[in-house]
Amino acid sequence: MATIPFTASSAVTEFAEMSETLTGFDVVELEGTGLVGPLYDELLSTIGSREAGKLLGASSRVHHEYARKDRDALDRAFREAILDDDRYGPVARNVVKMWYLGTWSQLPRAWRDAYGATSLDTDRVISATAYRESLVWIAGHTHPMGAKAPGHGSWSVPPLGVDRAVAP
Amino acid sequence: MSGDGGGEDLDEGEYDVVIVGGGIAGATVAKVLAAHGDRRILILEAGRATGMSADKYRSHVEAALASPTKAPNAAYAFNPNAPQADVLDIRQIEPPPQGDRPPSTEPDTSGYLVQTGPLPFQSDYTRALGGTTLHWLGTCLRMLPNDFKLHTLYGHGVDWPFGYETLRPYYERAETEIIGVAGSTDDQHYPGVNKRSYFGSYEYPMHSIPTSYLDSVLDRGLGGHRIKVGKHHYTVQMSNTPAGRNSTPRGDYQVMGAAGNPQQGQRCEGNTNCIPICPVQAKYSALKTLYELLLRHPGDQPPTPTRSSVKVISQAVATHVVLDEHGTVRGIRYTEYEDESTPTPATSHTARGRVYVLAGNAIHNATLLLASGAANSSGMVGRNLMDHPLILTWGLTAEPVYGFRGPLSTSGLEMFRDGKFRRDHCAFRIEIGNEGWNFSALAPTSTVNALVEAPTEPLFGRRLRQKIGEVLPRQFRLALEMEQVPQASNYVTIDGRYRDQLGVPRPVIRYDLPDYVRAGMSAAKEASDQMYALLGLHPLPRRPDLDEVPAADLFPYPYDYTTYNPTDSGYLTYGDEAFTFQGAGHVAGTHTMGSNPDTSVVNPDQRCWDHDNLYLVGCGNMPTVGTSNPTLTMTALAIMAAENIHTELERRSLR
Repeated sequence: MATIPFTASSAVTEFAEMSETLTGFDVVELEGTGLVGPLYDELLSTIGSREAGKLLGASSRVHHEYARKDRDALDRAFREAILDDDRYGPVARNVVKMWYLGTWSQLPRAWRDAYGATSLDTDRVISATAYRESLVWIAGHTHPMGAKAPGHGSWSVPPLGVDRAVAP
Repeated sequence: MSGDGGGEDLDEGEYDVVIVGGGIAGATVAKVLAAHGDRRILILEAGRATGMSADKYRSHVEAALASPTKAPNAAYAFNPNAPQADVLDIRQIEPPPQGDRPPSTEPDTSGYLVQTGPLPFQSDYTRALGGTTLHWLGTCLRMLPNDFKLHTLYGHGVDWPFGYETLRPYYERAETEIIGVAGSTDDQHYPGVNKRSYFGSYEYPMHSIPTSYLDSVLDRGLGGHRIKVGKHHYTVQMSNTPAGRNSTPRGDYQVMGAAGNPQQGQRCEGNTNCIPICPVQAKYSALKTLYELLLRHPGDQPPTPTRSSVKVISQAVATHVVLDEHGTVRGIRYTEYEDESTPTPATSHTARGRVYVLAGNAIHNATLLLASGAANSSGMVGRNLMDHPLILTWGLTAEPVYGFRGPLSTSGLEMFRDGKFRRDHCAFRIEIGNEGWNFSALAPTSTVNALVEAPTEPLFGRRLRQKIGEVLPRQFRLALEMEQVPQASNYVTIDGRYRDQLGVPRPVIRYDLPDYVRAGMSAAKEASDQMYALLGLHPLPRRPDLDEVPAADLFPYPYDYTTYNPTDSGYLTYGDEAFTFQGAGHVAGTHTMGSNPDTSVVNPDQRCWDHDNLYLVGCGNMPTVGTSNPTLTMTALAIMAAENIHTELERRSLR
């Protein structure tokens, strides 16, 4: 498993930073999944280093420009520069799904026409681990179906901590 | 007893009993017979051996987690030499006429089952050691006394050749000796059932699986309320569902942990993954019974008066029941294959025994008999194919109910399982699902995709996280599960044109649902509508301009989201109404038991009318299926059959 930040390349750091904005989970939470490095590698091999580099570069510029404390402004700028962009948007949405579901979705035909496609660009589950660590379950106040069972009878009462479960 | 293992009886063959099928019915028969000691038993399994050790089982768990659909068979890969039905293969057979296009007349052959319609048969099963208990839900409801007298009481279907009282002691044994059921007789509320005569002083071997938070929210909103469906009134009452999953034992009951790994799975941990696979084996599967059998009655050692010998051969596809001129079974011909993916090399063998038992899925028992020209003097082999066709309803609640937790279901509404209404429409039960919209809409994947891919202002980041935290905990569903009645016109057959790669005939299925069942769907939907209304959930107003709704405004609540789409594979109509039905995986009725050899395949001993030494076990024997998931009843019947077989073996030894 890859670790950041000290030994990681700046690209992985940029990926973690982008992932934070895309997922609503902070870097420490993302690190806790053990997937920052593996999902970065997955992105790189699935869309190629040129596209990944350009996306991370564009994301970094937005993050540089907006101080982290003004999250709303950052989100707005990020939506405009990344999500609404024809080149970055489809990939960024896929990065959200990598994190939330552990899946990769085949990129749209128009995107492939413009930027090419690799053999990995198919609808697929990235790995059992990526599924097990996917964020939708945490966001939904539960555990992944088939893993991390919270224990006998825990389902009889609301999940622990829901009263203070709010987005960061 | 057959003596010291010698004697003339064993000259008849190598085994006392040859069993075809390594699922729960075959394992149960083997266990009951082996317990008497001094028996040589062979189990032939068409599929592969599966995970009877912790690491091997784990590999199937990983396969399921890495599968894109997590469908019932996700943990057990398709094996072209022992093909199995799969829910992912189901297509609409006869689309409602649209314009000038005529309905299809060609069978759908895209999956393993050859489906001739008019409706698709929508259930699957697993061909691997352990059978479909590898992915069953685990519900262990007994049938109701009136289910055994459906024809006499209500003029539909048929009566069983015996009543509930006859089966009751075998239910107890199935619950305690084979499956291990958690439940509380106090929590069972069935219409018209006197608990004292239904259960006697019996109590389940383990305490109830705790009910879910969702169950308790629904109970608060619905419990005790009166609803009216048609001309009948019902009081809503929830029952905790008895289940073949481990809980705290009562008395000195020994909880069965994972096969080959007994320290794991001693309690249900709430993995919310009973289907496709319980990761810890807290839920029963036939692997547990088979593992215990192989340990106690090793197949590589001769039997003794206190020990039997049980041998399992997997990757052995039974192809023919070999009969002599007197109609006595002389062997089971089977094909052993080496590699799942290719039909070669494969070798043909014949297993010989004194008594033979077909213990395959109801579909495969029937196709094997038909391919052999066996047991069919009544013409009823393959007929009366049944299931529990179900329709789903689903909604978003006002307050969070925190689904996606606990086993997939912990409670049901049982008040529609019996009553005078059964003259007019079929009985049904309502299963409450703990897995959000997973069954009804493939959530949470579909939920995330809808929010992230929305045409207008798709969500990401903190707002996405917040929205999911709002929507997922409000998702719930009900499954309205119909009693399908037996009809000769619903059948599985074979046709030389359709074979698998080993040359074994594929099942060819003709399936439809009568108005009696469709009327039941209508009544059940009416009941569901009233309950949703009591919960404050009204039908979601459909918006034509959905594309223009910002993602943040998707999934408004509280609403009833139920919708049936004409393109759904199980779309059907009843008068002005339309529903989408699904299969329950409860394949039954293809070689029914009865007291008349002209209309049934096996007699009340579960022996073929046509063959003295051939017994059939499994859901195929069930004359009707009531509204209870059939595995428990099948297991009770299999114990009964095994005791009959034991008596028969004893009789033959004395002769």
